[in-house]
Formats: sequence, C-alpha cells, structure tokens
Amino acid sequence: MSDYDAIVVGSGAGGGVAAAVLAEAGKSVLLLERGRALSFEQVGRDHLRNQRLAIYGHNAGPDIEGNPRTLDPASFPIPVGEQQGAHRVLRPHEPGYQNNAACVGSGTRVYAGQAWRYMPQDFRMASEYGVPKGSSLADWPIRYEDLLPYYERVEWEIGVCGDHRSMTHLPAYDKPYPMPALPLPQKSSVHRRGLDALGWQSLRVPRLINSLPYNDRPACIHCQHCVGYACPVDAKNGSHNTTIPRALKSGNCTLRTEVMVERLMCSAGGAVAGVKIITADGLRERISADVVVLSCGAVETARLLLNSATAQEPGGIGNANDQVGRHLQGHYYPGAVGIFPEQMYDGVGPGCSLATCEFNHGNVGLIGGGMLTDEDIVTPITFWKRDYPPDVPRWGLAAKQFMRDNFRRINDIKGPVQEIPNPDARVQVNPAVRDRYGIPVAHLSGTSHPETVRSAAFMRERAIEWLRASGAVKVWGRKPQQYLSGGQHQAGTCRMGDDPAHSVVDRFCRVHSQSNLFVADGSPHVTNGGFNPVETIMALAWRTADTIVAKW
Amino acid sequence: MSALFDEKQLRCLEALLDTLIPPDDFPSAWEAGVGDYLLRQLQGDLADLQTSYGDFLRCLDAEAQHLHKRDFADLAVEARGDLLHRIEKHQLAASWTIEPGKFFQQIVEHCGEGYYSDPGNGGNREQIAWQMVGFEVRG
Repeated sequence: MSDYDAIVVGSGAGGGVAAAVLAEAGKSVLLLERGRALSFEQVGRDHLRNQRLAIYGHNAGPDIEGNPRTLDPASFPIPVGEQQGAHRVLRPHEPGYQNNAACVGSGTRVYAGQAWRYMPQDFRMASEYGVPKGSSLADWPIRYEDLLPYYERVEWEIGVCGDHRSMTHLPAYDKPYPMPALPLPQKSSVHRRGLDALGWQSLRVPRLINSLPYNDRPACIHCQHCVGYACPVDAKNGSHNTTIPRALKSGNCTLRTEVMVERLMCSAGGAVAGVKIITADGLRERISADVVVLSCGAVETARLLLNSATAQEPGGIGNANDQVGRHLQGHYYPGAVGIFPEQMYDGVGPGCSLATCEFNHGNVGLIGGGMLTDEDIVTPITFWKRDYPPDVPRWGLAAKQFMRDNFRRINDIKGPVQEIPNPDARVQVNPAVRDRYGIPVAHLSGTSHPETVRSAAFMRERAIEWLRASGAVKVWGRKPQQYLSGGQHQAGTCRMGDDPAHSVVDRFCRVHSQSNLFVADGSPHVTNGGFNPVETIMALAWRTADTIVAKW
Repeated sequence: MSALFDEKQLRCLEALLDTLIPPDDFPSAWEAGVGDYLLRQLQGDLADLQTSYGDFLRCLDAEAQHLHKRDFADLAVEARGDLLHRIEKHQLAASWTIEPGKFFQQIVEHCGEGYYSDPGNGGNREQIAWQMVGFEVRG
C-alpha cells in the first residue's frame, strides 16, 4: 500500500489547485514545496530584492546561493552570471535564469494576479496562422470550450474581480465575475482618452484580488506594493490563501515545506511509484503514491523528469521522443513609457486599470500579437532602474530634479506577446553543475523565434501610439531584442498533444508513457497566449485533477 | 564609522556621492543616508567591490590633485562635476589603477539605489526621497 494516494510536487498556481481538488475528493495528498511558508513580514518590502526588481535577490525565494542554473551564452544578448567552461552559471536573481518564486504559493504569493482567459484563437494558432519556418507552432488538443467551465471555477472559487461586459474580445460570458472591477485610479481617464481617440477596445483588467470582501477575507485597501510583494490585508488571492487552505481543511492533505524532490521512483510497466526527496537537513526519504502530479513550473518540471532517467527511459521519464524541455516560452513584454502634462500618479493601488485586446489577433502579416495595459504602481527605484529616459542625465542636480518633477507624471503601457515556440529553446540538465542538494541543475539554451521579436516590435509601436493618443508629451522605450524567454510566465516544456512523437503529455496532461504521472503547471501549454497565464494554469490544473478523480 | 575606508577616502566618498545627488530643497545623497547604504552593501552584496571602491576613491583624489592641487572633496561642486564628466569621457590626467569609466557608472547606480529604495536598505532616511518624488506609502 502506498504512503499517499497522491503526491503533488510544487505549491504554486497549478499545484495548489491539484492538491485542493484531489484532497476534497477524499484522496490522501502530500503537497511538497521546496521553499518556505512566508508571512507578510517575511516577504517584506525590500525595494531592491523582490519579484519585480531583483537586483540583489528575491523576497519569495529561491535563496540566491545553492540554486544555480546554467545558460548557453548565445541565449542572452549580454554576458550574465559567471562564465564556467562553455556555459554561464547563473544565480536566481540574475537575468536569464527564468526564476519563479520558491515559497508556499510560489509566484501567486507575490504576483499581480492578472486573471486572463486565453482567447479561442489562442488554442488553435497553427490552424489560424500556419506554421512559420523554424517554429513548432501547433494547436492545443483542447479548445477554449474545454477550459471554460474551469475558467469559471477559478473566477468564482479562487476569486476574480472584473467587468465581464468589457471583455468584448471573448465569447459572451455565461457567468459574470463574482466581484466588480477595482476602482479606477486617476490616470485611467487619461489612458481611456487615448483608447477612445484611437477607437480601440477598452477593458477593465480582471484580477485575482478581492474588490469586495470575499471568501472570508477583506477587500483590497489600494496599497502601493501589489505586484512583486505580499498583500498586507490578504486580499490578493493565491494558492497560499485559497486552494492550499482548502486542501488542508479537508483533512486529507499534508503540506511539507523545504523539501526537494530529487527524482521520481518508477515501478515496472509504465507507472511511477512515488518520489525520492531530500529534506533541508539533507535527509533522504522515499515516499510512495498511486498518483504523482508535477507542478514545479516549466523549467523545474522538465528538470525533474530529465533527472529521473530509468532503464526504460534513459533520457528521462516521458522523454523517449526527446520532447521534454523543448518549446520553452514565456512572454516578451514590449512597451513604452511616457511623460504626461498632468499628474498620472494618485497612489491608488494596485494601479493597473485599463487594457486593450485590440491587437491579440488579426494583425496583418503577424502571427498573433498581444494585450496591452498600463502598469501597477512602480516604485521610485524601479522607475529609476528600468524606466528612466535614456537621454536625461543620470546624475547631478538635473537627474535629481527630473525625478522630483516627473515621477508622478510618468506612466507606462506594456503587455505580454504571444510567443512563437521553437524546439531549440529548451531545458536540459547539466550534471557538471549541482544545486545545494547535489542534483544536476537546469541548463537553458536556444533563443526566441524571429516571429516573436517581430510581434514584440509591433506591440511596442502600438504602446507608443496609445501613449501619444493619451497626450504623452515624450515617449521612450527599448526595442525588443532576441533572447531566450521564459521568466515568471514560463511554459511549454511538457507540451500537450495526442501524438507522443511530438508531445509529452496527453490532452488530460498525463505523461504519455506513464499511467499515473500528470503535469499541472504551465509546462503543457502548447502556446502561451498573449496574456498573463495564471488563470489558464489554474483552469487546466483543475481540469486535470477533475479527470484524475473521475477515473479513480 | 567604517573599517573599509580611511578618513580621507570617506571624505572623498561623501563628496563624490553629493556630486551625484547634490543638495537642493531636498537632502543630498550623503544627508539622506546613501553612505550608510553603500557601506552596508560593501560588506554584503557588494563585498567583492571593496578594493575597487578604495582604488577609485584614491585615484579620484589623485586626479583632483593633478588638475587642481586639491583633494576632490575640497573642490567646488562645479569643479567636482566637471572632473566626473572628464572621467566619463576617459579624459584622465593622473594614472588610474582601475578602469574608471565603467566603475563610475556602477557608483552612479549604487547611489541611486541608496537614495530611492526603501529606508530599510540604509538610505532614503525617513523616506525623504519618496517625499521628494511624491511616492506615498499608505497601507
């Protein structure tokens, strides 16, 4: 008899949902998390070490020492990390690492919680656009309609605020959002002026935030530290305060933190038997289960499969056809910054107010496109580091007075671009470099497809157009370059498909070669939409867990 | 105040930071605590830059002596600014033991970090830089 019915590895967006659905169905669940449970105070408000600006570290893990990855130098336009042989060795806060938070809730502990459904076209990109040379663009094996009931469950059970009537780029909603959109900050009237002048769609950004008291937690207090930080009143809905508490409340779920899974254990006949873990004290344990769900994020899920080689699958579990780790993608985030004649900043958080999906599809000569929105409140140092205009002196009285006179008059428009996947953008493992547990680290190589860069350049132009139409007197922003993408929106490394030759998991996110091994994070995404992916990750995990329960 | 630098270097550091962010209606870098930020970082995240900082400060004084027969800290603010602009353009009079242009850019970054980040990092004393730009923390 197994130790648990199910083991879920990773407590982020997908893992939290999987644990809750399985535990509430009466299954005994072990939820494993490599990081710690972090209080609001532990996450803190360090403006130099957070999930938004990580110059010297992160506020939500992983620790900057003991968790390296390696990178092909050709994958990044500037030298990052430290050269070691043919590779760069990166720490988690360094560019190119593709970090996701390591704590209970993972990225959902500190995210902005933008809650987007993908569009119907996003599930059939190859059919809509054809397959460009050098890309692995493909349709998902499922459709928008397959995920729709789960999008609704996420919106109602985890808690999303928004205005469904403004989502005119999607099929009409059957159910509204359970909470109205957050109040608009002052700058939204300026941004709306631009959208109206251009005749572009204007919608309210849906958020996994309580705009009213919901699920026994209070409403947002409109603080200035939303994206990148923890919520001071617990009004931001992530795995740590929704799905994981639900799983624990069922009495069927055990949460263990600071536990690293070293590899999967296999039994004969195409099934996994459980996991081998290493605790923070360096103790090794074998834990058995009838079902294993991997929710480690697109980089770490691929790494774990590749580090779990067996006699039957010497290249790693699920990797008989050399698909695990390929098609790594995330989101290019093109945009621009503008200075306005009027004050844009009123301190009303989170800050992000309006968006347009005018350019997600239907752009002549482009494959897909992306959403554009104004951003959450930007801290002064983030502005100074990231958004400062390149032609203004960076020191001296002029620099200081530029900050004094303009910080409240500046705003940026940007958004995620649908990336065109390619098989060479990939995660492998590097046995020459080990993490603090002695496990081979993830090695990242390849770069983005040229079509992604083209779409990003186009969307940057649209951001500039919006800023100008809204009245910006000066606009600036970097042109997109080619580099390996992934980041917090990482996806694609365990592609979903019906044909095992070209995919890793089936349409219910079960690893083709294993009867009881599932993936519930961004890894199965065939393509990643032109939207923040978290609601799709949650919805897909819900569908996967529901399917597991239904057949069990 | 610091085991990292002698008194002469500290005077130079203060003058350097206050040239990067000079006083006006709002405090200078040093007055706002950027020195505290930097000295803390040089024993933490930036520990591997201790020697480079020491070298830079020594060479900066040497450069000022070469051009003006005074230490950098004893120059008027305009002269200090002119000298730093010359360094940015690699117009050097003294012999430098460190490549000054690139390192100067790093110092500019560190100074901004101390001034504009949260007071918990040692600078931006009493949120004075946030008051200056209008970033108010409510809640």
